[in-house]
Amino acid sequence: MYRNAPKSVSDPSSNPLDDICPVCKSNRYLNPSLQFLINPECYHKMCSTCVDRIFTSGPSSCPVPHCGRTLRKKGFRKAFFTDLHVEREVDIRKRVSEVFNRRQDEFETLLDWNNYLEEVESLVFDLVEGSAAEKTRAEERLREYRDAYREEIEGNKRVGKEEVEGERRRERAEKEGARARRLAMAREVEEEKADVEKGKRDLLERLANSDGNANAITRQAQKVILKKSSARRNITEEVLASNGSANSGLTIRGLKKKVAPVEEKPYDPFGGVNITPARFTVQESYDNEWLGNAKKDTRHMAGGYSLQEYYARTMFEAFSGLGVFIEEEVADRGQKGDPSIGTAAAAEASGGKINIGHKMEIDDVF
Amino acid sequence: MRFNIDDLPVLFPYPRIYPGQLGMQRLKCDPDANLSSQNNMRIYMCDLKKTLDEGGHCVLEMPSGTGKTVSLLSLIVAYQQYYPEHRKLIYCSRTMSEIEKALAELKALMKYREEQLGHKEDFRGLGLTSRKNLCLHPSVKREKSGAVVDARCRSLTAGFVKEKKERGEDVPVCIYHDNLDLLEPHNLVPNGVWTLDGIMRYGEEHKQCPYFTSRRMMSFCNVIIYSYHYLLDPKIAERVSKELSNDCIVVFDEAHNIDNVCIESLSTDITEDSLRKATRGAQNLENKILEMRDSDADKLKNEYAKLVEGLRDADEAREEDAFMSNPALPDDLLKEAVPGNIRRAEHFVAFLKRFVEYLKTRMKVRQVISETPPSFLAHLKEYTFIEKKPLRFCAERLTSLVRTLELTNIEDYQPLQEVATFATLVATYEKGFLLILEPYESDTAEVPNPVLHFTCLDAAIAIKPVFDRFSSVIITSGTISPLEMYPKMLGFETVVQESYSMTLARRSFLPMIVTRGSDQVAISSGFQVRNEPSVVRNYGNLLTEFSKLTPDGMVVFFPSYLYMESIISMWQGMGILDEVWKYKLILVETPDAQETSLALETYRTACCNGRGAILLCVARGKVSEGIDFDHQYGRTVLCIGVPFQYTESRILKARLEFLRETYRIRENDFLSFDAMRHAAQCLGRVLRGKDDYGIMVLADRRFLKKRSQLPKWINQALLDSEINLSTDMAVGSAKKFLRGMAQPFKASDQEGISTWSIADLERFKEKQEDETIRALTEAQRNGADTGDVQMENTRNGNEAAVARDDEYGFNDDELEAGMMELDNK
Ligand code: SF4
Ligand SMILES: [Zn+2]
Ligand SMILES: [Zn+2]
Repeated sequence: MYRNAPKSVSDPSSNPLDDICPVCKSNRYLNPSLQFLINPECYHKMCSTCVDRIFTSGPSSCPVPHCGRTLRKKGFRKAFFTDLHVEREVDIRKRVSEVFNRRQDEFETLLDWNNYLEEVESLVFDLVEGSAAEKTRAEERLREYRDAYREEIEGNKRVGKEEVEGERRRERAEKEGARARRLAMAREVEEEKADVEKGKRDLLERLANSDGNANAITRQAQKVILKKSSARRNITEEVLASNGSANSGLTIRGLKKKVAPVEEKPYDPFGGVNITPARFTVQESYDNEWLGNAKKDTRHMAGGYSLQEYYARTMFEAFSGLGVFIEEEVADRGQKGDPSIGTAAAAEASGGKINIGHKMEIDDVF
Repeated sequence: MRFNIDDLPVLFPYPRIYPGQLGMQRLKCDPDANLSSQNNMRIYMCDLKKTLDEGGHCVLEMPSGTGKTVSLLSLIVAYQQYYPEHRKLIYCSRTMSEIEKALAELKALMKYREEQLGHKEDFRGLGLTSRKNLCLHPSVKREKSGAVVDARCRSLTAGFVKEKKERGEDVPVCIYHDNLDLLEPHNLVPNGVWTLDGIMRYGEEHKQCPYFTSRRMMSFCNVIIYSYHYLLDPKIAERVSKELSNDCIVVFDEAHNIDNVCIESLSTDITEDSLRKATRGAQNLENKILEMRDSDADKLKNEYAKLVEGLRDADEAREEDAFMSNPALPDDLLKEAVPGNIRRAEHFVAFLKRFVEYLKTRMKVRQVISETPPSFLAHLKEYTFIEKKPLRFCAERLTSLVRTLELTNIEDYQPLQEVATFATLVATYEKGFLLILEPYESDTAEVPNPVLHFTCLDAAIAIKPVFDRFSSVIITSGTISPLEMYPKMLGFETVVQESYSMTLARRSFLPMIVTRGSDQVAISSGFQVRNEPSVVRNYGNLLTEFSKLTPDGMVVFFPSYLYMESIISMWQGMGILDEVWKYKLILVETPDAQETSLALETYRTACCNGRGAILLCVARGKVSEGIDFDHQYGRTVLCIGVPFQYTESRILKARLEFLRETYRIRENDFLSFDAMRHAAQCLGRVLRGKDDYGIMVLADRRFLKKRSQLPKWINQALLDSEINLSTDMAVGSAKKFLRGMAQPFKASDQEGISTWSIADLERFKEKQEDETIRALTEAQRNGADTGDVQMENTRNGNEAAVARDDEYGFNDDELEAGMMELDNK
């Protein structure tokens, strides 16, 4: 409790003015639980007690001198930034970015895209620090644009959300994987230790019970332990390697995201995979004497039998499997781990959430 | 002395050569040769040549003080002069004094060559160090901080300053710099080898800036000697080393810490203080923009137009006066136009401000946060609408703005530059990097002092361009064991990978492992026992005993400052220091550089007078890295405890995890490797030449198992009878050793054993040729290759060590448990 008080004061970044409520002059030094709130109507800061006191009974005007804007309690929130100008700017940006949410791949050239970015930036600037006239003009534009491109805006919003979601999922998966591998590793170390223990016990027993050469027995026991541990190491290495390659599929970044599905297109059962054969084209008809009859035979045709189907299947069977090189695929399962997996794991390790279970030969400075 | 390696004539500036320097083929398959492996001859120069011939990288370990630098230089210079390609040598070392030493060696070598060949070769060798060390400007050179010297120099030498001057405006300039423009650009200094001192003197005489002289002459040199950073740190490398051609021979000397240098060059830290200053910097920029818009709007318009076009002056990046250069590696730069939303100067400043404010808010959090760059960027975007791409261009855009605004007091913008560096790095790299926010300095601290670390976890990233670009990279040091760790960590393949032993006519150093005190209680700096009074007392006794018997200087290394402090205060209580005081003066290293240098000075004085002194220092401190204790300055080095890193450090934890996941290096393996390389560094401090002698004591039970990780030259001198000693036994051995050293020893005794004259060399060569032929046929028969043999050896060594451990009936856990019990009673 007391700990908090000196902390916030000695905090070098805090300007003493930041800690005093401009309305009631309460001081954070005396009341460490003091919280400041702002209302995005006018961005004037006051403490939560003041907000309760003034606005609980309904909308009222801002108590800060020369402001006088009508505020509601509902509108108050904690500010993310200390600099309230930036807070306001970011709020405006949020509003703008909900409307101007074009994506780079919608533009023909990089220059177009950059020009668009600059235009939006200028608009934001007008809204943030422009004169009254500039502000209204900018608001006007914002509205016009929103009305004109309503559909596209919606579409891009959806794509953006999906992107964020995908990114989150990937991150979670990476974290999960890292944690799992950590646990496996810890378990392995445990086992190894247990093995060594056991080996030692065996050795002692054997030394006690037999009258052979003590040195020879010792050496033999050592060898057994070494062999075991190296075998175990091989296994875990395999596990690690397989995990690594399995996960690396998730880490592809910067792939061009597919445009949100357009309604008109029929459902594609193959999920976009191109199934038109690449190595042959099926002809209208093939001259083949033993098919000649079938073509004309009404008994075949009547049942809806199509020779085209037959051709296609035969050709497919003839060509299937060509162009698949198993060696290459095997070689692709690289030896080295993917650094991105390592990075995720490192984040886990240093975050202090998991402590290293097994006792390493740690030397701490004390 | 003059001899040939294959067809290459080498001139060696000393009349004798140590076999290790010439380095001979391992005499395999010959039982006699194995017997004589005491003077195990190895390939140093031959291996070097092989590396150069084949084009590839190598890792070589050779004891320091045995003429490693001179053999390297004489071979490479011979190679340069003999073959028509005249490949340039880039020799990187760590400290300024090492650079100066190497330059002096090179100078001596060239003089010798001139005498031998009878004519002066067309040759130029230069060293480069920071402006701070080379500046001649009367007021600038007095600045204490290197960054300020750089900044002030830039304000005096920037391109627009010259323009202004030509327009007749009155601006301060540096005459030393401007004089250079009057000279022929490819001939700023005459041929020859210029030591740093020499070039300073020349600069003073001719009123020309030594720093820029060296820098501009870089492409007209045969040999360049400078610090690692000029090649590894992208912020500097881009400017200094860009023009060097790809067939240069690159040598990293004293490279046992190279992975850390790589990591540091891509990491940055942000503090609250720097953020506050950055805000002020951004504010200043804004004011300047307003000013300029009123006075000289055209300049801003020009800049804007250039950015729209995506034009970038080809040599802008290389410009020597640029405010800052891009902190990302050249391959990772986006080569496209600056994003539209930061094209206008005012937009960019607002962007910077927003980013700084965001960082400030993040710094307010009072719990440790560790996140990957993508997750940081996602959060950033959510709260500030800053996208990744403009962030990535931050450094470049800021440089351009500073240039346009023609700012003169650049040093004020340093913190802003740090933020821009951070921005660019975090947006460029997502794999192998991590952000760690630590609100408190330590776990017990109450006052927050938040630091945001952007840390690189993968040493291979920074050094990759070097390996990709240059065909021969040689990594060498006195202590770089185990060799295979380096290619693994740095991600490269070697042509040759060798450790050379020392051949000595007499045993000039005595390594020992002391595992227990005279009372047979095991000693260790292990976490559980390090504060046990019995252990501390035993360490104290060890110190007392060795202070009695050591002549002159003695150096003691502790694993950390904290441990050193606690053990010293305990010794004080036990009266041990009073005892030691009777024999030697006691001096202590502190984290403060000035205090330490004072202590060192006193230590040296004391070593030259009277009974000598003891220097207590830290195995990872400044003393252990750069300072030599040759001859009387260090007769005994005592390593108290295994110098493990502080494993609770979050950055280290992250790196360990990364190494394990990415390179399959286990945590314990890395920690133990790292501890042993530091221990070896400490030991190597006392032996700096062939005529030097000293005692090396490793005092910790755990060294027993780690013996095989010591460099070969130390491990080989470590007799089996001296690896598990108690204090009294160690004292006995040391006394005997010192008595032996006191016997007169003639230089001629060395001849034929540890130094060779021409005749010896010839004889050896004949033998070697026979051997080679035999070895070749042998190899054809059973297809055995060197690598296997070596692996076999180390494996055997390991097993032997483990087995030995058990013979003595040592069992760590039991022992520790036993000790606990004892003390509980
Ligand atoms: S040009 Fe040279 S002498 Fe002049 S200030 Fe810069 S470093 Fe110093
Ligand atoms: Zn209030
Ligand atoms: Zn208000």
